[in-house]
Amino acid sequence: MNFNGHIIIFASIFLGFWLDTIISSFDIRTHILILESVPYLAESCIGLLIFCYWVYAIPEKLQSSSALLYGLLIDLCFGDAIGFHMLFFVAISYVIHVYALRFRLFSYFQLIIFFAGAAVFYLACKYLIFSPINYSYLLLIFSFCINALAWLPIYFGMRYIRRRLI
Amino acid sequence: MARSTPTYTPAGKYVLGGIISAALLIADLNYQTFSAARGLTQASGIYTQLILGNIVGYTSKISATFEDKKDLIATNQKLRDELLHMQNKIFLAQQLELTSKNILDVQEPLLKGNLEQESMQSLKIASFDLKNYLCCSSHTLYLRNPNKVDIADNLPVFNGHTFIGQTFGGDLNLVKVILLSDASHILPIKIKDFYCNARGAGRPLEIKCVVPQNSESSSLEVNDLALSSGLGGVFPNNIVIGKISSIIDNNLNEIEILIRLKGDPLQQNYFGISLSL
Repeated sequence: MNFNGHIIIFASIFLGFWLDTIISSFDIRTHILILESVPYLAESCIGLLIFCYWVYAIPEKLQSSSALLYGLLIDLCFGDAIGFHMLFFVAISYVIHVYALRFRLFSYFQLIIFFAGAAVFYLACKYLIFSPINYSYLLLIFSFCINALAWLPIYFGMRYIRRRLI
Repeated sequence: MARSTPTYTPAGKYVLGGIISAALLIADLNYQTFSAARGLTQASGIYTQLILGNIVGYTSKISATFEDKKDLIATNQKLRDELLHMQNKIFLAQQLELTSKNILDVQEPLLKGNLEQESMQSLKIASFDLKNYLCCSSHTLYLRNPNKVDIADNLPVFNGHTFIGQTFGGDLNLVKVILLSDASHILPIKIKDFYCNARGAGRPLEIKCVVPQNSESSSLEVNDLALSSGLGGVFPNNIVIGKISSIIDNNLNEIEILIRLKGDPLQQNYFGISLSL
């Protein structure tokens, strides 16, 4: 894949993570203003789902080095501990590569379950590493639902972009 | 049929990638190896946002010239900023009066005046890490330092009413502030005659003390005021930090005292940094 392709893919992943930040800021403001007595319930993983889509859609073009590089850039851009997204991107990329062709046989529902599960695993790891105090199963369950709902729009949106730009 | 579909990349490369990233993660988490690089990129990001914000601000200003309310909005904004600035100044003046009673004589009013002017910097907020503020243990914000004033680490930061945190380095003319509620922040406090080290709870507006159960700690009640003890050497003593929101018995002969902080960092755009307290 040429350099422009990588730029487009990274830009889409970056926008996804940026959107996650915006959504969580909005969530937090609403939470602080209105729902302070209720625990913080859900977190979206749009950036991760977009990365998963690209690996799922073009596994032959996105390999371990790309996952490593994208992870490093995301860690740097969003101020996370260096290595977290690298590690997670490499791991999820490996799993998707192993089952790349099998995924073609999956229904949309099965894909939703798998990718929402991956997003919840990512959230669980993130909370366990960075904020074990705030780890909550309720948050994971609600986040699973949110990310399951987000998968199909991301899937069709990214497919539209891929067919026109890559 | 094969049990699993073939991969496009040998597993060895993924294992290598995993090892590299795990090593980086451990190095960063345990030893803060890349904190400088991370701080720099974060500061650059904030600068980009500020520049974009300025561009948007200028654009909206140009369009606002065609509106009658422009002057009123500007005056209102200016007055609000002035008010916040004044609040910070008054707060600092009160603190100076308390702390300098013993060292400043009546015959040195000029010295005191100079001290007041030079001892406080009122800085506007540049960025608030809202994403981590509610979800995670790290609670920080960045203040703009356009005059490039040399601001040391571990100086108290206040919001006009009480202290909200302390300085913690900075990058590219931005001052990083670690809030009292950050899980890594420890503040020595006193409640009545009881002293303890309150650690940030990692949740907004909350700090907590975990102390052994004894007669002193058992006398504490919900809504008792928590004051700074001054023992840490950063904050002056006897400033109201918050009040007890709940006392939890954890059945290990220890009690957890949760304190609701008084200073809400989300309420203001200007924060004062005391250079002399």
